[in-house]
Amino acid sequence: MAAPVPWACCAVLAAAAAVVYAQRHSPQETPHVQYERLGSDVTLPCGTANWDAAVTWRVNGTDLAPDLLNGSQLVLRGLELGHSGLYACFHRDSWHLRHQVLLNVGLPPREPVLSCRSNTYPKGFYCSWHLPTPTYIPNTFNVTVLHGSKIMVCEKDPALKNRCHIRYMHLFSTVKYKVSISVSNALGHNATAITFDEFTIVKPDPPENVVARPVPSNPRRLEVTWQTPSTWPDPESFPLKFFLRYRPLILDQWQHVELSDGTAHTITDAYAGKEYIIQVAAKDNEIGTWSDWSVAAHATPWTEEPRHLTTEAQAPETTASTTSSLAPPPTTKICDPGELGSGGGPSAPFFISVLVTLALAAAAGSLLI
Amino acid sequence: MLACLCAVLWHLPAVPAHNRTGDPGPGPSIQKTYDLTRYLEHQLRSLAGTYLNYLGPPFNEPDFNPPRLGAETLPRATVNLEVWRSLNDRLRLTQNYEAYSHLLCYLRGLNRQAATAELRRSLAHFCTSLQGLLGSIAGVMAALGYPLPQPLPGTEPTWTPGPAHSDFLQKMDDFWLLKELQTWLWRSAKDFNRLKKKMQPPAAAVTLHLEAHGF
Repeated sequence: MAAPVPWACCAVLAAAAAVVYAQRHSPQETPHVQYERLGSDVTLPCGTANWDAAVTWRVNGTDLAPDLLNGSQLVLRGLELGHSGLYACFHRDSWHLRHQVLLNVGLPPREPVLSCRSNTYPKGFYCSWHLPTPTYIPNTFNVTVLHGSKIMVCEKDPALKNRCHIRYMHLFSTVKYKVSISVSNALGHNATAITFDEFTIVKPDPPENVVARPVPSNPRRLEVTWQTPSTWPDPESFPLKFFLRYRPLILDQWQHVELSDGTAHTITDAYAGKEYIIQVAAKDNEIGTWSDWSVAAHATPWTEEPRHLTTEAQAPETTASTTSSLAPPPTTKICDPGELGSGGGPSAPFFISVLVTLALAAAAGSLLI
Repeated sequence: MLACLCAVLWHLPAVPAHNRTGDPGPGPSIQKTYDLTRYLEHQLRSLAGTYLNYLGPPFNEPDFNPPRLGAETLPRATVNLEVWRSLNDRLRLTQNYEAYSHLLCYLRGLNRQAATAELRRSLAHFCTSLQGLLGSIAGVMAALGYPLPQPLPGTEPTWTPGPAHSDFLQKMDDFWLLKELQTWLWRSAKDFNRLKKKMQPPAAAVTLHLEAHGF
C-alpha cells in the first residue's frame, strides 16, 4: 500500500512541473495580432523575455539582422507594407520559440464615398460605398438610413459586400432621406452622410437588347429596337423616355434623337454603306436622371451591289439579326401610324422571302402619312 | 398656421359632359392635364428658387432638411405605394382636385404677403396656371361622369385668424407649401400617366394588351 502512493505523487508532481515549464517556455498558441500605421516606428518586445535576454528574431522564417535589435526587442522604423508578416523570436541558444506577432501594416480609413441610386423606382433604392484609398487592413462598415425621424432597414446585397438595399414604403414624400455610413478598422474611424429627396436619385439601368438592323431596299435607313431595362419594375405606370445616339464609326460627331414613347426608331439619314454605332439611354419621364449608355449596337445600311464585299458580309448578318428579332420586345407599343416616320410596325418580324418583303413594303407605304 | 378662405373654389362651374358623337373620350383632356402638370412643375422650379431666396437662409440651402412640423392642413402627396397603385380612377382624380384646390388657396395667401412686386407677379401668374390645371382636372372628371368633390358642411376651410406666430414659423409654412406643391406636381404626372394608359384610344390589339394585364 505504501508503494503506489509515492508513485502517484511523483506522477502528479511531474505533470505539474511539465505544465509550469510549458507555460513559461512556450508562446501562446496563436500569434498576437498587431496593427501598425504605415510610416510609423514600432518596437516589438519578445513576449515576457527580459530586455537583456539573448534572442533571435525571424520574419516569415527568415532571420533578421541583429542591428535591428534593441536588447531583445525588435525595432522597425518607417513601416512599409512589406513589413507585414509573422514575426517570431527565439531563444538564441536553444532555438526555443518564445513569442510570435502577426504584424499588419495599414492605414486608418479616409472618409468613405457614399452614393445612392434608385434604378427600381418605385420599389426602392440602393446605396453603395467605397474607400477612396485602401487601408490594407480589414474594415467594417455600418450603414444607417433615416427617413425624417424614422429608421429604415438597409438589407445587405447578397453578392456585393459594399451595397445594401432599401424598400420604399411611401411614395411622393416631401421628407428627405439621410444615409450615414461609418467605417472603422484597428487604426481609426471615419464617417460620412448624404441627404436627398426621393426623386433626385432615380436613374434607370440602360436599355437592354439594343438591336440595329438594315432596312431592305433602303440604303439610308437603319432600324433600331430595344427593351426597357428589366430592373425597372413598372414601365406602365412609370414610363421611360429614351435618348438615342448614333454615328458612323468613321466620324466622331453623334446624332441625337429623344423619344418620348416606344422602344423602336428608324434612322433615316444614315450614310450609305457606312457602319454605324448606336446607343440608347433611358430616363423616367418626369423625375431623376438619364441612365448610362447602353451596350452599343452596330449595323450597316442595306446596299445594293451584290459584288460589293460588305454586302456579302452583310447578307448572313442580315439573316442572323433578323432571326434574332423575331420575338418582339414585351413592352414595344404597336406603332401608331400617326407618329413620326416610323414606317409600319418596326417590331414586326421581317421575312427573308422577296414576295413577303414586297407585300410589307406595300402595306407600309399605305400606312405612311 | 395655414388657414384659408377658399369658398370661391368649391363653386367652380361644373364643366358639362359632352355627348358629341365621335367624341374622342377623355383621352385628349387627360393628355392636356398631364402636359399642364409638366408645365407647372417647370414654372414652379424658377418660382420656388426665387421665393426661397427671398425667404433667405436656411430655406434656400439645398441640404435644408427640417422635420415636418406644423403645416398640418397642407394636403400631403405622400401615400403608401400599394394604396396609390390600387386607387380607382375617381379617387385618384378627386385627390388631385382637392389637393390643388387647397394648394391654390394657400398660394393666394402667400401672394397677399409677398414683399416684392416681382414676386407677386410670378405668384399671380402661377396661380392662374394652377387654376387652369384645376379646370382641366374638373373637365376630365366631368367627361368620365364623376361629380366634382364638394366640401362637406362644416369642413369648408375658412379664415381663422390664428395666434400670431413668429416670422420663422411663417417661413417654415411657406417652405412646406412650396415643397408639397412640387411633390404634388410630380405625383400628378404619375397619376395622369396611369390614367392615360387606361384610357388609350381603343385599338383592338392594345385593348387586349390592357385586358391581359388585368386593368
